[in-house]
Amino acid sequence: MANEVQPLNLHTKSWSVKIILAIFSILMLILVVGPLVWLAVHAFATEWKFPSYKPTGLTLEWFRKVFEVQALKEAMKSSFIISPIVVLVSAVICLPAAYASARYNYWGRRTFLIMMFSANAFPKIGLFATIATLYYFLNLMGTIVGVIIVQVLGTIIYMTWIPAAAFASVPKNLEEAARDAGASKFRVFRTITLRMAMPGILVAMVMSFIYAFDEAQGTFLVGAPNIYTMPTAMYAIVETYPIQVTAVFSILLTIPSVLLIGLARKHIIGGQLAEGFQIK
Amino acid sequence: MSTATTNQVAKESFGSKDSKLSVLGFFMALPPILVLGTFIGLPIGLAFFLSLGYTGGLNEVISIIGQDVRARDGKLFTLQAYQDVIKDPRFLGDLRTTLLVSLFATILVLFFSIGIGLIQRLRGGKLSSLLTALSLTPLFIPVVISAWALYTFYGGAGLYQTLLKSFGFDVPQITSTVVAIVIGSVWTSLPFAILMITSGFQSIPNALIEAAQDAGAGIVTIIRTVMLPLAFIPIVIVATFTSIGVMGSFTIPFFLGPNQPTMFGVEITNFFTAYNRPQQSIVMAFIVFLAASGIAVMYIWANFRSAKESGRV
Amino acid sequence: MSQQNEIGLELKGLSKVLGGRVIIDNLDLQVKKGEMVSLLGPSGCGKTTTLRMIAGFLIPDNGTVTLAGKDVTTIGPEKRPSAMVFQNYALWPHMTVFKNVAYPLKVRKVNKAEIEKRVHDVLGVVNLMHHKDSRPAQISGGEQQRVALARALVQEPDILLLDEPLSNLDAKLRVKVREDIRDLQRRLGITTVIVTHDQDEALSISDRIAVMKEGKIEQFSTPEDIYNKPATEYVANFIGSLNRYEGSYSNGQISTGSDVVGVRPEDVTFDSKNSAGAVEATVSLVVPRGHFHEVYLKAQ
Repeated sequence: MANEVQPLNLHTKSWSVKIILAIFSILMLILVVGPLVWLAVHAFATEWKFPSYKPTGLTLEWFRKVFEVQALKEAMKSSFIISPIVVLVSAVICLPAAYASARYNYWGRRTFLIMMFSANAFPKIGLFATIATLYYFLNLMGTIVGVIIVQVLGTIIYMTWIPAAAFASVPKNLEEAARDAGASKFRVFRTITLRMAMPGILVAMVMSFIYAFDEAQGTFLVGAPNIYTMPTAMYAIVETYPIQVTAVFSILLTIPSVLLIGLARKHIIGGQLAEGFQIK
Repeated sequence: MSTATTNQVAKESFGSKDSKLSVLGFFMALPPILVLGTFIGLPIGLAFFLSLGYTGGLNEVISIIGQDVRARDGKLFTLQAYQDVIKDPRFLGDLRTTLLVSLFATILVLFFSIGIGLIQRLRGGKLSSLLTALSLTPLFIPVVISAWALYTFYGGAGLYQTLLKSFGFDVPQITSTVVAIVIGSVWTSLPFAILMITSGFQSIPNALIEAAQDAGAGIVTIIRTVMLPLAFIPIVIVATFTSIGVMGSFTIPFFLGPNQPTMFGVEITNFFTAYNRPQQSIVMAFIVFLAASGIAVMYIWANFRSAKESGRV
Repeated sequence: MSQQNEIGLELKGLSKVLGGRVIIDNLDLQVKKGEMVSLLGPSGCGKTTTLRMIAGFLIPDNGTVTLAGKDVTTIGPEKRPSAMVFQNYALWPHMTVFKNVAYPLKVRKVNKAEIEKRVHDVLGVVNLMHHKDSRPAQISGGEQQRVALARALVQEPDILLLDEPLSNLDAKLRVKVREDIRDLQRRLGITTVIVTHDQDEALSISDRIAVMKEGKIEQFSTPEDIYNKPATEYVANFIGSLNRYEGSYSNGQISTGSDVVGVRPEDVTFDSKNSAGAVEATVSLVVPRGHFHEVYLKAQ
């Protein structure tokens, strides 16, 4: 009873506050969702004349059209091949480090964390410009490996910080209890630590996937003109195709993120993400 | 943040109690640092030397491909590339645009995220959940799409113009202006800010708010003296990540901004690809980096200060 | 002096439904000015809810709350002449001890010199002057508790509310702090309501105890009465241990009947089996408890 969360009793002049809140909400609705709906509706429009609130007619023709364009099909294919590889590579590199920074104290620990943060503070676009020097030297320009590396760089901060916070929040005494019950060190890690940290790892993977899937600037600088992913293809098609095609393509490009975030929604909003962004 | 759980986590994760240094831990932590070192640290180092006129070694290829590359010619270093950039008539305009857009976008993002966070914490209910869910939508949307959607919305034939026209207003469109960049930057930065700040406010125990109420404080005083200070770290994180993110952004200003003056993100890309002047584009990257590091220092300071306050250090 | 001035707190017909459950059901309570009253009961009996309605954090669905003669039923906590000590103390971690205690005065716009003086006075009372510049995280649980108490007292409230104030302290400290609180309360003559689930605590510091069960007060009386003349079997069982018999009691004899008779363990004496009213039993277990032993008997 004493621990039951009870609502705060804050007295507000209910009417004026309610009206302000209502206006605020409607404004948010229009400003946030408006552009998306506006674009999405175009995917089904035959034609749209300014200044009309609705299209001249409705059609599904544009969806067929998108799948007819060879370049767009290629872009979709490479997106769905590259992004999962990026997530896996990033996980292999970062998860042990996340565990280490949660459980061990090692030489240079804090320096490592700050270095990781500063790497993120350097403007992305400038970084991609500087990376070219090295890429030319290593012959990575315009290669799949080059694109994967560029995308992995941006996921490292998600893949270390969020799981590190998740590992750290697994109480040590739960591990000790399992050890006491006769489980081996590895078994404890697998059945207790990893399982309890799983939501955090999942959030990290989702965020990394979305980052990789959506990354455009680095991929464009490093991959074009050999490799186009869905977002970099967008740069090109907005200039060459009618708005309806870009609208269809936008919808297709948004589906994976929507699905994944829907899946991990509870944990993302539950604070796993926020936990990860503090230097400890 | 200041809840018991976060403090506990912090203590455990900092591992101050078992101060034994772990060799295994060091090697486990090494891979991401090596990757970052190789593909971020090394290029930045190389680029730094290139910006000073070191055109040999690993910098050779890019120096040959690029135009207007200033070599140090036997001197210790040369600042000519920097002079090129600073003397360029576009520089001041770009600098002003970049800083102002970052500043205004950050202020607006803080305003909206703190507002929504407070509504959710203090009022709760369906409306606030709806607001939070709404403001998280941009998280689902790739930046390229967001930029394009905003462009079509605010652009010549977009809903914004349609609405204004039907009410009889004939105003100049806001796409290709700085205003549109700010709107776009707020739009894309809001979800992260909301996640951070709502979770910061949520972790303030009810009792701490009620204690202030019991002490006679009204809602505004409670927000000012208890809630904002206790959410100080998330607020600083949002401020730094938003301003750094906006400062280095490319897609939003590319789609929504004016051609001249524009933000450094666009200018860096232009110099690198369109004008083929890599050295000058790198110089601009360092100028943005300098501004970003100033902000990053603030973030690190805030983190340590909070660690000290809650008795962790 | 009218009668009303003597009443520190009055609850009349108080009811509260939370989450579809009746938590408080038509509850009446009158606390005299300067009196210390415990709300005692198991968790879930509604004692904390009652306290939160007195403080103003909850508005009752029905009934009234009167503090020092003033109806405050719908007034927010920030305007009530009550001050609360929270279970986990609820000290603000970003403020020093001094600032925590000064806060209520500051929000009431008391002038600086007076704040300084009153905070120093009250920190002296709870013996914490040496910690005035420490942060809550740097002092012990017992000290935090005293800061919370100081923060309540500095408001010079008409009524002091304590929500399980001792539950986070270790056993030894608990006895000391509860005596300190009792001593302070007597000295200042402040009307106090304390919520607890610990019968020892309630018995040792209260003028009167309200034993609660399922949102109602089972008995409201002095500790002596509650212990020696429990109104219901529930009260008798909740306070102290009890030997329970089914039967009737008359003239020191228990005979067959439909009533329930309770006998406190310390009232049991050993005698030969032929004495009047004796129950034949064998010892099944003896537990040493320091200065006394607990003897478990099994009736033949």
